[in-house]
Amino acid sequence: MAGRELTFRIMRYNPETPEVKPHLQDFKLFEEPGMTLFVVLNKIREEQDSSLRFDFVCRASICGSCGMLVNGRPTLACRTLTKDLPDVTTLLPLPVFKLLGDLSVDTGTWFREMSIRTESWVHDDSEFDPTKQEERMDNEEALKIYEAERCIECGCCIGGCATANIRPGFIGAAGINRVARFMVDPRDKRTEQEYFEVVGSEDGVFGCIGLMACDDNCPVGVPLRGQIAYVRRKMASAGWKMKVGR
Amino acid sequence: MQLQKAMSYNPRGDFLVETAQMVSGLLLVLFLWAHMLFVASIWLGQGSFNALAGFMDRYGLLPLTIVFLVLVFGTHVGAVLRRMPRQYAEQRVVWKHAKLIHHGDTWSWVFQSITGSAIIVLAVVHIAIVSFAGINVHLSSLRVANPGFLVFYIVLLLLSEYHASVGLYRILVKWGFVNRYSMKRVLNVVSVLFIVVGGVSLWILYSLGA
Repeated sequence: MAGRELTFRIMRYNPETPEVKPHLQDFKLFEEPGMTLFVVLNKIREEQDSSLRFDFVCRASICGSCGMLVNGRPTLACRTLTKDLPDVTTLLPLPVFKLLGDLSVDTGTWFREMSIRTESWVHDDSEFDPTKQEERMDNEEALKIYEAERCIECGCCIGGCATANIRPGFIGAAGINRVARFMVDPRDKRTEQEYFEVVGSEDGVFGCIGLMACDDNCPVGVPLRGQIAYVRRKMASAGWKMKVGR
Repeated sequence: MQLQKAMSYNPRGDFLVETAQMVSGLLLVLFLWAHMLFVASIWLGQGSFNALAGFMDRYGLLPLTIVFLVLVFGTHVGAVLRRMPRQYAEQRVVWKHAKLIHHGDTWSWVFQSITGSAIIVLAVVHIAIVSFAGINVHLSSLRVANPGFLVFYIVLLLLSEYHASVGLYRILVKWGFVNRYSMKRVLNVVSVLFIVVGGVSLWILYSLGA
């Protein structure tokens, strides 16, 4: 039995030929059992248009490279089954990030900049003693760090965020989650005040206006609302205690 | 960092404005609810409405309320303005974005800025009229019986209850602790109740004035 005929409205744009305005192009194909958008896009590229640009690596929601707007919703194409889609589906690239062409965006540069700005490394000034045993970590703490580290940096939380769409400096849920990861890490010796310098501003956690599109759209289910609230409470306490006039 | 930024550097600035926005918003919600309950004294009869108004007048509570409103309302407007997508380019991005991602809470934020702007105008008119004319059943019922004013009050009631409900929801979401979805339901019920309370008060005043 032949499956449904599906129509995919895909945005076409090549920054190298800006004279061709961004437009939607329709592709049609028949649905197959267990079909994902990963299969659909590869089939279209193989059989219909070899110039179609999109990103895929792992096709198992681990690499985070296939984030796109599926009928407006930011999600991973590889974990989207066609059986959950209507007959006509619109595919657009993720907003906020630099558009490389068609559905392909550069999330890497954005995430690298965010990593530098949030100083995403363990801060510790103490002398390293190679003969000493490693310090033990509480299992609870390790699990909290692990929860934050599940972020695959696909950028769905950033693309869906209204604030990130109008404020280029805003670090978004991915950035705030990153800070939360280091806050719970006992090896990072940064004080509340030092964290405040990093995220205690409009470009950090106080820029969030609580629309929670990040939390609603995270494809791997990182509890972003809880992470943002955690950092907000920490930073509010730091801001409250801060000496006026320093 | 650029020179001007270094010279005006205040690390706590954003935190303080955010706090001012939240505290003033909470105070305005409490004020709105108390206001609806006070107006509802008309349910008990003209005497109780006039008695309450007279009590507030005698002990100087009316001018106090106006001072409170000027300060808190002004703080809230000042703090919130920074969040409004101001420039035309930003407006376009926000509308496009809201239409694109089909996300309820993003739409409610767009409405939040629209209702907020409308409330600035409507509330100022409302406060001006009340503070210059005074409060008693006779004045209020005559005003509400005027179809123009009736529409004005219905619109103000709906907009302010909506704005308060979404704003309160937003604060609770941002700080955590409570479940988002059950909280939204509770707030919806509370807002509908207050709209009903206000609506019935308006209807009583209208039938008295007509």
